[in-house]
Amino acid sequence: MKRRNFIKTAGVAATVPMVLNGMKISAAPMSPLFSGIDPYSDKVLVIIRLSGGYDGLNVVLPLDQYSNLSKLRTNILIPDTKALKISTETGLHPAMTGFQQLFQDGKLGVVHSVGYPNQNRSHFRSTDIWQSASSANEYVNTGWVGRYFQDDHPTYPEGYPNGQFPDPFAITLGSTVSETCQGTVGNFSLTLTDPFNFGKLTEGKETLFPETPYGQELSFLRTSISQTNQYADVIGVASKKGKNQATYPTSNLATQLKNVALLLSGGIKTRVFVANLGGFDTHANQVDASDTTRGTQRELLLILSEAIKAFQEDLRLMKLEERVLGLTFSEFGRQIKSNFSMGTDHGTAAPLFVFGSCVGKQIVGKNPEIPVTVPDQTGVPMQIDFRDVYGSILQDWFGVSQAEIKDYLFANYTRLPIVKNCAVATDTDDITFEATSVKAYPNPFREMSRISFRLNGSAWTRISVFDNIGSELRVLMNQQLGAGDHQVDFLGEQWPAGIYFCRIQVGREVQTVRMVKI
Amino acid sequence: MDRRATLSTLLGRSHAAKATPPLETPKPPVLGLTPYAGTFGFEQAAHLLRRTTFGPKYAQIKDAASKGLNATLNELFKDNPLPNPPLNYDYTTDPNVPVGSTWIDAPYVRDTTNGGILHQGYRNTSLRTWTYETILNEATSIREQLTLFWHNHFGIGDNQDPKFWYRHITLLRTYAWGNFKELIKKINIDPLMLRFLNSNQNTVTAPNENYAREVLELFTIGKGPLVGPGDYSNYTEQDIREFARALTGWRDQGYNVTDATTKVGSFFRISSHDAKTKKLSPRFDETVINNGFDKEHETVVDIIFSKKEVARFICRKLYRWFVYYEVSAEVEQNVIEPMADILVQNNYEIKPALMALLKSEHFFDVLNMGPMIKNPLVFSLNLLKQIGWNAMEASDLATRHKALAALIREVANQQMVYFDPPDVAGWKPYYQEPAFYRIWINASTLQARMRLTDRMATNNYTVGSRTGLNVLNFANTMSNPYDPYLLVEDMVSVLLPQSLTDPQMTDLMNAFLAGTPDYEWNTIWTNYTKNPGNATARSSAETKLRNLVKAILSLPEFFLS
Repeated sequence: MKRRNFIKTAGVAATVPMVLNGMKISAAPMSPLFSGIDPYSDKVLVIIRLSGGYDGLNVVLPLDQYSNLSKLRTNILIPDTKALKISTETGLHPAMTGFQQLFQDGKLGVVHSVGYPNQNRSHFRSTDIWQSASSANEYVNTGWVGRYFQDDHPTYPEGYPNGQFPDPFAITLGSTVSETCQGTVGNFSLTLTDPFNFGKLTEGKETLFPETPYGQELSFLRTSISQTNQYADVIGVASKKGKNQATYPTSNLATQLKNVALLLSGGIKTRVFVANLGGFDTHANQVDASDTTRGTQRELLLILSEAIKAFQEDLRLMKLEERVLGLTFSEFGRQIKSNFSMGTDHGTAAPLFVFGSCVGKQIVGKNPEIPVTVPDQTGVPMQIDFRDVYGSILQDWFGVSQAEIKDYLFANYTRLPIVKNCAVATDTDDITFEATSVKAYPNPFREMSRISFRLNGSAWTRISVFDNIGSELRVLMNQQLGAGDHQVDFLGEQWPAGIYFCRIQVGREVQTVRMVKI
Repeated sequence: MDRRATLSTLLGRSHAAKATPPLETPKPPVLGLTPYAGTFGFEQAAHLLRRTTFGPKYAQIKDAASKGLNATLNELFKDNPLPNPPLNYDYTTDPNVPVGSTWIDAPYVRDTTNGGILHQGYRNTSLRTWTYETILNEATSIREQLTLFWHNHFGIGDNQDPKFWYRHITLLRTYAWGNFKELIKKINIDPLMLRFLNSNQNTVTAPNENYAREVLELFTIGKGPLVGPGDYSNYTEQDIREFARALTGWRDQGYNVTDATTKVGSFFRISSHDAKTKKLSPRFDETVINNGFDKEHETVVDIIFSKKEVARFICRKLYRWFVYYEVSAEVEQNVIEPMADILVQNNYEIKPALMALLKSEHFFDVLNMGPMIKNPLVFSLNLLKQIGWNAMEASDLATRHKALAALIREVANQQMVYFDPPDVAGWKPYYQEPAFYRIWINASTLQARMRLTDRMATNNYTVGSRTGLNVLNFANTMSNPYDPYLLVEDMVSVLLPQSLTDPQMTDLMNAFLAGTPDYEWNTIWTNYTKNPGNATARSSAETKLRNLVKAILSLPEFFLS
């Protein structure tokens, strides 16, 4: 039995102490699973896909790394004097004044260096990985949001929409179905280009379908057409009833977000929206030769920043801010060294943004560490696994249980402090890591380097070593550790001389140590 | 109850009677590869041509029906000349390629401002519009369907040098129904493939297993269940490693070059080749591969193809492309296995095995008529080929190709882009369980499909000027355009895979004549044929025909083949 369904039935009546799965309810008073809230609460997630793989180092500027970065990116680096600071050592691209404002207002969070082990640098494959939430070496054909919906609606699309669920579960803005919302049979997202022009399709006469493959496919098509038309009615009602209150800039992304706000204000009960901004594959002319604060990337970041700022303002005026959380992602970051075409090539990790009045003013993780020299093709080493971001949102925003989240993500995840002000669950984790205790010795090393660190309490610890292009070479440790000093050896004799990164994750804290083999 | 017989009765059609199964049997037996001996009439000919071409015209179907099954199959597999290469249709600033000439061997020009290259974009567009044009112009031939089949099979989709693409697609077109084993040998060292799956980085010092993995998993033998560590039943991780080593040493050349001397191709660099002995797993009988230099990659193929599973694997894929997605245990036994036998007996020549499928009683089983949801390319080109598209009447090459470029966007809105399958496994509807073909359909693609058919039918499709369907010519090619009932029946028989119910036919008649008495159509058509230049007479007939065609195309039945 699924816990959420249980709670749904039990409702608020479950106030007397009782034992559920061996756990006393009164022992976890703040958990959403036991608070009797509607599992289909009104929380909405807006995912913005930045397709092409964006150059995170020119978006969230690691100002404390500029002495090295300026040597590796002579032709494209954004001058630090132009950076829009969000902390003493971190700035935003100068086009992103909207984001800076949102950060100051406590409505924007930054998560540093998000990626996954063994980064695949193909647009397609890496997008699949981000959308399915699989590991780099797994092929999974459903999306992480699709699996979340499917658990409660296993027969979808058969029988939907219905009286209880008249609205689309998810909406993809544009004409490409989001794989993020793919279930085993159907895709949970309705594709929507223009809510005011959601044409009714000809349904034709009802006919009996012969019990043959032909009849079955015909029946499927009729169902799809009829479902589209029923959703068209819902969209039509919401877009008539809704009203935008803020002024949006002119861009495709702004229009997509404007439609999201419009539908939400019109009362649509859709839980997930997926928007898209493409063009980040900036192999050439990412910046102008004469002025690195201009160029292709600047235009895109301006669109992104201004569109989200307007969207957030619209939600504020509509008094819907506390219902909506936003998340950006791009399939990969780009390489640390720029190329000779005023651009950058496919790399590994990149920062992502979360936005909304519930995210709080925060920076999760640290600026990536940029060495003096890096081999060609080196990407930004991953600090945070993207599934930690997904898991934290499912847990703290949608109130999904950890066990279910593990099923949806096929993996353990570490809860990150993304959702703050309006979290459905409270954060009781203690920080158990003395970040300053992390050492690798000897470093540089010839055959072996010993990684040591100290824990303040018991925590799940995962230590792995990456090469400079983001491949996870070896997992040194993946287990629960107690308080105290710990160490683990990296035996590197089989690997060529060069730069390696040791990533130590303790609970939700991450440290990366750069190691040099000579 | 025999559903096949019921359906035949329901449809009011004659069908070669089969042995009646016992009454308690819920399903009719799955017919096998036995040659079809029933009537080869209009509906059978239409079924064969719908599945093997991108949309037969009424006359083509009539012709096939009168020639018979064997003659039609011979025509489908006739070795017609390959299309002429793509041209520069309208781009005036490439110094190396004047408008009207081909670009397939022409160098690019260095962009001195950023180190990139110039004059590639129009070649990409040209490659794509040329492909559409080739399909639109194709008569009764299976070649373009098979070219797309192989394109889906190899799944290359990165944005690459169009000159590499031209070589690749020409290879696929050449081997359309040729020798599968030889094709894989060519694919091993195809310049585009060398780049796509990183074989060009596969060297003795830094082996790259990407291609070796896919050639086994997706191109030849297929991945069986994982039965032990690294053991996928048909092959193991060891085999991937060893094959990768055997494939080392190949590089592509001519990528994005700006000099006229470096031609697109591939070459073998002996110093990058792993000369040591390779040893395969028990799955490949622990075969030892000794250094074979530049011929070693062919040895790899010979070893893989010594396993019959390769034949089964490709036959299943052909089945899903030409018949239906569901490969049941019965289909496996009655269709795939005998087809694989033919393939092996003929040393992996595709033609005899595929022909056996297409002339089998299984293929002509009424249960296999109509349950395939057309892919967006087939859907879109069906209506243009079967009815006729005014845009292709333009005398000017540039205008025609501009219309084709716009059409490509329409098909992209339906989620299919030639030269851009979503990943190396190809388009999901051909492998993704359990939904298969249904994956093509969602709210957005439904609207994209219907927007295209509506605008084409009503002549509101605009590329420069209005360029819709040529409905007058379509009607004119039917058996008796003066008779409104026959006209509707004929159109339905060309465009839809099975006949409609009486109420549906009544709806179509209402859409067509819109309340005017049926005898008036005779007058309207007579007026038009007598005075084709008279705008009023013409428009009177055309309006009614457009309403009729729009009504037929908006039926979900038109989505099916």
